[in-house]
Amino acid sequence: MANDQTPLVKMRGISKRFGGVHALEGVDLDAYSGEVLAIVGDNGAGKSTLIKILTGVYQPTTGTMELGGKPLIMNSHADAIEQGIDAVYQTLAIADHLDPAANMFLGSELTKSFYGIRYLDNQRMRTEAERVLRERLGVHLRSMDVPTESLSGGQRQAVAIARAVYHEGLRLLVMDEPTAALGPQETARTLKLIETLRDQGLAVILISHSLDDVFAVSDRIHVMRRGRCGGVVRTSESNSTEVLGLIVGAEDAA
Amino acid sequence: MSMHEIKERLDPYLAYVGPMVMILAILIFMGIVEPVRYFRLSNLNIILLDAALYLPMAMAMTFVITQRGIDLSIGSVAALTAIVTAFLIKSYGIPAPAAVVIALLMGALLGFINGMVITRFRVPDLIGTLAMDLVYRGFALVLAKGLVLARFPDLITDIGRGQIPGFLPIPVLIGIATIVIGYFLLTRTHFGRYTVAIGSNPEAAEMTGIAVDRHKVYAYMLMGAMAGLAGIMLTGKLNAIQATSAPYFNLHVIAAVVVGGTSLFGGRASILGSLAGVLLLALMINALVTLRIEFFWQSVASGVVIILSVAFYTWLQKKDRDGSKRLLDGLRSPDNLKLFKLVGTISAALVIMLALGFSLAGTPAASG
Repeated sequence: MANDQTPLVKMRGISKRFGGVHALEGVDLDAYSGEVLAIVGDNGAGKSTLIKILTGVYQPTTGTMELGGKPLIMNSHADAIEQGIDAVYQTLAIADHLDPAANMFLGSELTKSFYGIRYLDNQRMRTEAERVLRERLGVHLRSMDVPTESLSGGQRQAVAIARAVYHEGLRLLVMDEPTAALGPQETARTLKLIETLRDQGLAVILISHSLDDVFAVSDRIHVMRRGRCGGVVRTSESNSTEVLGLIVGAEDAA
Repeated sequence: MSMHEIKERLDPYLAYVGPMVMILAILIFMGIVEPVRYFRLSNLNIILLDAALYLPMAMAMTFVITQRGIDLSIGSVAALTAIVTAFLIKSYGIPAPAAVVIALLMGALLGFINGMVITRFRVPDLIGTLAMDLVYRGFALVLAKGLVLARFPDLITDIGRGQIPGFLPIPVLIGIATIVIGYFLLTRTHFGRYTVAIGSNPEAAEMTGIAVDRHKVYAYMLMGAMAGLAGIMLTGKLNAIQATSAPYFNLHVIAAVVVGGTSLFGGRASILGSLAGVLLLALMINALVTLRIEFFWQSVASGVVIILSVAFYTWLQKKDRDGSKRLLDGLRSPDNLKLFKLVGTISAALVIMLALGFSLAGTPAASG
């Protein structure tokens, strides 16, 4: 494992206040390329806030971030995407009536022009989508023509992930509760997707409530508790009892 | 190939099945009852002319409804633009081609105002366009008082009822052209793609960086421009226009679009379905006229067609949600059985009433 190399993302002393509420206080976080970092914690522990800061949706009140050794300052989610940081949300942000290719390119469609008239290049979007799904994610859809709503949960997830990984400069992918709404089979497929992405050298941050999934796929576990970092453990050297203890704050008593 | 696969392949085309089946039913029925008068070339021409007037608006309304919007103001937009252009031509001597361009631009402007009311003031589209319908109609009445403006240059009447010898009427060509443009817009442009995305999942559209409000305004502008075009076509068709013209454009067009399989809940668009819907309504109304059924039954019949088709599409979607594999499985759920009983009762009652109206209708006589 890669603790000797420098982290891809380094967050130091991150605090965030909403009015009088201290959502985060002095959180440090390191994420490495080719590693799955799981973030776990109770509801309201600050996982989402931390992730929203990392993906540029919120700006930290205090604290610094570095990406690949350079200071990272983002004013919007678009800045984060520009820098190679993207997120796949639980809701997937998919338009169910559009086909997979249209969803993958939603907001950044490929076009071609015919005597100065620009129009969508549906053919190229489809072949590109097929290529990304096959090469990067190992997913083959039976048909690229059907609306995305007719796909299974795991396939829809793959389409959402494909949208993020199509961006060549992607270095860090945040996945927010990817398995929350999935059955056992689809969960296994999604975890496989996460491993595939890690093996391609991406840094993956996985937020999950399911410790089973976390232990199945992650390399390190970052525990959030009441807006602070409750501890970081190496998955191979830990067990769910220890992590649960960190989540509920029982480690002192133990 | 299994039954399921066949069904999956057919799925995208199901939108056309509803109106096509009804069109076929009308054609067969008329073929038996009144073949000579209904299928006369001159009558088919009348049907096409009727349909042509609604095609541009149905095309634009498909976009508006797909974005989960609705536009109830199109009748007034058509009337107001027609009145204004009529005045420009008759009182100020503006040449006809310029007047047509002005009508399109003015329609787009009125649509832009609709869009602003909905996206900036956050007035729900139903209320917003209903109110603007009153506003535009009011302006038309203020401008025209009770006047009927008549006798327009050849270009205007050509647009409304011109005929290319041995070929189709000019308004039909205009209507088909707008449908082709609409199909291109829907499948090949950002506007069309984002229209579906916005109607399908507004939050997702927002998250992927689509300017949702801006594209909504675009749809209302397209709607306004097409309503303006319809205003000109109506002026030309009648060679006359007054402030109270085009009273039920909105409901007729919405009916045609919904019958054509575009979902009122957004996300599912079908331009060709809208074409089929417009044709269906035109065929049906003409059939009622040919059968000498009183004019007033038309709205009853339109209502029945709308109920039947919406029930049909709801049933199709219901089946999807259940996740059942076979087409007829959806029929067996208690909800659907209830729905079918209701629809069956209503249609039976209406069929009886239609038959009654048909038998009671004597030769039309002047009422005044």
